[in-house]
Amino acid sequence: MQSAGRLVADAHASGRPLSAIWVDLDRFGQVNESFGHPGGDEVLENLAARFRERVNGRVITSRVGGDEFVFLVPDCNRTEALRLASELAATVEEPLPVSNLILRPTASVGVAVCEAGEPPVSLLERADRAMLAAKNRGGNTVVCSGDEPVPGRLGIMLAREELAIENLLHAALENGGFCLNYQPIIRADGNVEAVEALMRCSVNGGDIPPAKFIPVAEKTGLVVRLGEWSLLQGAMYARRLQDAGCGTKVAINVSRAQLGSSKFSHALNAALICSNVRPELVELELTESLFMDISEIVQNNLKNVIASGVSLAIDDFGTGYSCLASLKDIPARKLKLDRAFVTVLPEDQRALSVVRAMTRLGHDLGMTIVAEGCEKMEQIDVLLDAGVNAIQGFFYARPMPEEAMLSWLNTRNTYE
Amino acid sequence: MSENLQDAATPLDGLFERAIMDLGIPPCPGILDRFMAEAGKDEPDYKRLVGIIGADVALSASLIKTANSPYFGMRQRVRSVNEALAILGLKASSRAVAGIILRNAFPHVLNLERFWDASARIARVSGWLAQQLLIAGLLAEDAYTFGLFRDCGIPVLLGRFARYGETLAAANQDSVLGFTEIEEMQLPTNHAMVGCILAQSWWLPEEICLAIRNHHDVTALESAEFELPMLSRRLIATSQFAEHIVQRQLGLSLTEEWSKLGMVCLRLLEIDEARLEDLYVKAVPIVSAAE
Repeated sequence: MQSAGRLVADAHASGRPLSAIWVDLDRFGQVNESFGHPGGDEVLENLAARFRERVNGRVITSRVGGDEFVFLVPDCNRTEALRLASELAATVEEPLPVSNLILRPTASVGVAVCEAGEPPVSLLERADRAMLAAKNRGGNTVVCSGDEPVPGRLGIMLAREELAIENLLHAALENGGFCLNYQPIIRADGNVEAVEALMRCSVNGGDIPPAKFIPVAEKTGLVVRLGEWSLLQGAMYARRLQDAGCGTKVAINVSRAQLGSSKFSHALNAALICSNVRPELVELELTESLFMDISEIVQNNLKNVIASGVSLAIDDFGTGYSCLASLKDIPARKLKLDRAFVTVLPEDQRALSVVRAMTRLGHDLGMTIVAEGCEKMEQIDVLLDAGVNAIQGFFYARPMPEEAMLSWLNTRNTYE
Repeated sequence: MSENLQDAATPLDGLFERAIMDLGIPPCPGILDRFMAEAGKDEPDYKRLVGIIGADVALSASLIKTANSPYFGMRQRVRSVNEALAILGLKASSRAVAGIILRNAFPHVLNLERFWDASARIARVSGWLAQQLLIAGLLAEDAYTFGLFRDCGIPVLLGRFARYGETLAAANQDSVLGFTEIEEMQLPTNHAMVGCILAQSWWLPEEICLAIRNHHDVTALESAEFELPMLSRRLIATSQFAEHIVQRQLGLSLTEEWSKLGMVCLRLLEIDEARLEDLYVKAVPIVSAAE
């Protein structure tokens, strides 16, 4: 610890970065149990030798517990420390012969970068806590201090990046930063089957992509509030299209958290009542795993959706754990093939075979088949040839704001 | 109508009209008459106009929604009609209101006399109570906004379901079941949920939306496990207490809500018996003035 103190003092004096890396072997107790302590010691000695080879002489290496190693690395910033930590983790994973067997151990690694004026004990404690966070994520991973989960505004444990997104989501909620864009779904005969409502989020003029904000909204429960807001906005827009004479259906995405709530059908009916739209002009898109959920609340909600006159579509079909036995019982009228099947067309003949089979199956069950993610005419040709009923994708139109969608529909109707 | 209110239409007029049409709640005709009488003067008193607009659910909600619309690009959303009027401008707002009154561009008219009276009274007494109670975080303006919008789901349901009036009467008189439980026996939703999703669409703060959603739910009010923010609980308690004061003083048909929620509300507002009597007395001129 003397040397650690000197390195930390040098770093403070010079202003150069210093990092601590804490490596703990995963499930090392099992090695000791299987091979006895001599076997365990052999593993540790082997690993210590590998670590010495990997780091240069300026790094202080100590074995602090039975199966824990700590490295203090001068002139090493966060990026370099994370790289070295990953290399050390990879070093651990290299095959290791013990008593005529080959072991492939793994490690949980914590990283901390020394802060201005921070005492050595605090630096090491932070690296240790980061290692424990890596262990709590199931091991075999690297976590940097500060990235460990902390409670967010609603009390849910979040990683640092998620926390930042949660803050942005609250800012967007408080400043009206959410809106719905709409993307048309075009039938084989050229008519518009529906428009899908897609949520957009922007804060301070910058957009946050759905792939980033939706997982955090799901984790924090904000997805329920956003989902209810979408239900009303989508239903209001359907009413607007109804009043404008378009009569186009609006498809709204529903999340697991919403459908798992006993209040879901009250919220849906409230949206239908407030918008005063014809329920058949609203469609809810759910992923296939939601239909497979046999909990009483979800099943009651699905029954209530049908009772309200709103139709259901299975979203992203074909990539989840589809249970064909249950497919016959699903009360959906529409099946949307996942874009993963479409993007590889027309080249991938095996994907096309699967599309044909799914389309045939859907038709036999009385469903309309939609293909998502179409960007090329050649894709549309093979999909329509395979029997797909309607197409959604950039080839026809990107998602667009309310007014633009309405103009697009009006222009299209004029020329039809 | 003064000259000021006859200027050319602006984007605000269109947004406001859309908001009021989407809302589906007609403004109170008496309030519209008072508004036009004041606005028609050569030199209208804008402070009076603000008071008149602020007493009406439909006009207030539509102005808040308009001020919170992306068109105005405000970084901080407004949470009361006063803030909305500050953003939109008094003259421009008054012109927008006058415009739709003159064109009679309202949703189908229902007789909502009781709703209009009760919401304006409860809003006013709630705002006053918040000033008296001096509880940290409980602002008079939030208490007023919540009191005004708490029951905005009721006129929407009256407009859609012919027999909803009977459901309301049954819910008001039931001393055992929750208000919304009675509604859910007849309807696929309840007025608290309708009010909540409307308030969400106006971008009112989450605490106010959640208070609207749970304002008849005794479990949500008193349970430590139920994740209802303390501000929402206190907003509910303030408005229930305001309603109780009004009904007690005016001898109006008493609902059963106070017998179901009263004890919890007083606890949330930290009101003991002596303070209760004191507030009853002090409230007399406030309730009378709200008439």
